[in-house]
Amino acid sequence: MARKRERSDIILDMLTIIQNKGGRIKPTHLMYKANLAHKQMKGYLEDLIQKNFVKETKVKDYKYLVITDEGLKFIEVLRKMKEFERTFGL
Amino acid sequence: MYQLVFSPRWFFGKDVIIDLVTVAALFTIFVFAIKYYKINKNKNYLWFGMAFLLMALSFIFKIATNFTIYYNVWHVKQIGPVLFTYKVLKKSDLLFYTGFLMYRVLMLLGLYVLFTRYIKQNNYVKILILYLLITIAYFSDYAYYVFHLTSFALLAMLAYHYFQNYQNRKVVSNLLLFASFALITLTQIIFVFVFYQPIFYVVAQMVQLVAYIMLIITLIMVQNYGKKKRKK
Repeated sequence: MARKRERSDIILDMLTIIQNKGGRIKPTHLMYKANLAHKQMKGYLEDLIQKNFVKETKVKDYKYLVITDEGLKFIEVLRKMKEFERTFGL
Repeated sequence: MYQLVFSPRWFFGKDVIIDLVTVAALFTIFVFAIKYYKINKNKNYLWFGMAFLLMALSFIFKIATNFTIYYNVWHVKQIGPVLFTYKVLKKSDLLFYTGFLMYRVLMLLGLYVLFTRYIKQNNYVKILILYLLITIAYFSDYAYYVFHLTSFALLAMLAYHYFQNYQNRKVVSNLLLFASFALITLTQIIFVFVFYQPIFYVVAQMVQLVAYIMLIITLIMVQNYGKKKRKK
């Protein structure tokens, strides 16, 4: 059985999905791709926006989420952290 | 009368450099573990980091005891009257034995804290084992090899855990981590024989140097992982 995703796993998934979509994604697409419920997604997104990893923009009346430079740097930190965790078996 | 210094005279100073490399490797792991603890607030990271901090501190105490010895030797040569020289030696001896005791206590505690990250135990068992480890560390003054055999037992189990981890995830960083812990385990057995021949101390220290360099390489590989992913 696969282990339950930790908070840091979910945040890494969300940021990676935005990055892979060229740095910009619609909130509903992110919700489906990250496999999150609406309430969960809202909580995580507020946190990401507050920490300036993601920002909201509007293009032709559509709301988009854009990953910031800080967000890209944070992906790198999280990947290193996950690799550290896998290497030391934590 | 018991003996705690086994290093050949020509090796004095060189072992300090090896121990400094060891401290650097252990302290770097502590820094990363705390950095990651601040991100995900997972206490496993905190305790993992503390284990490596305890080990790093233990080597700092070992290095300090070495300096105590050098200080001793220098004073014996510089000061003439026998009575005065004797007093200085006594004071240094106290520092030396205290330092060595701290080295043993902190090393065994560090190894045990690391061990508990992988093998879960209840608090009663933890308290009992902590008592036994501190007792072993204290009485190892009279039989130094008991400390190395205890370290060997803890390290062997950790190395085996890292071997299993490597079996589950066959990548170079996991192999290096297992190899470095296997070598650190080996050093403890070599240290047992230094009583018979001081050259074993040199061999053990050299193996230790290789092991900790491998640990540093493992850390560098982990740190480069994020960068590689981003380039793809």
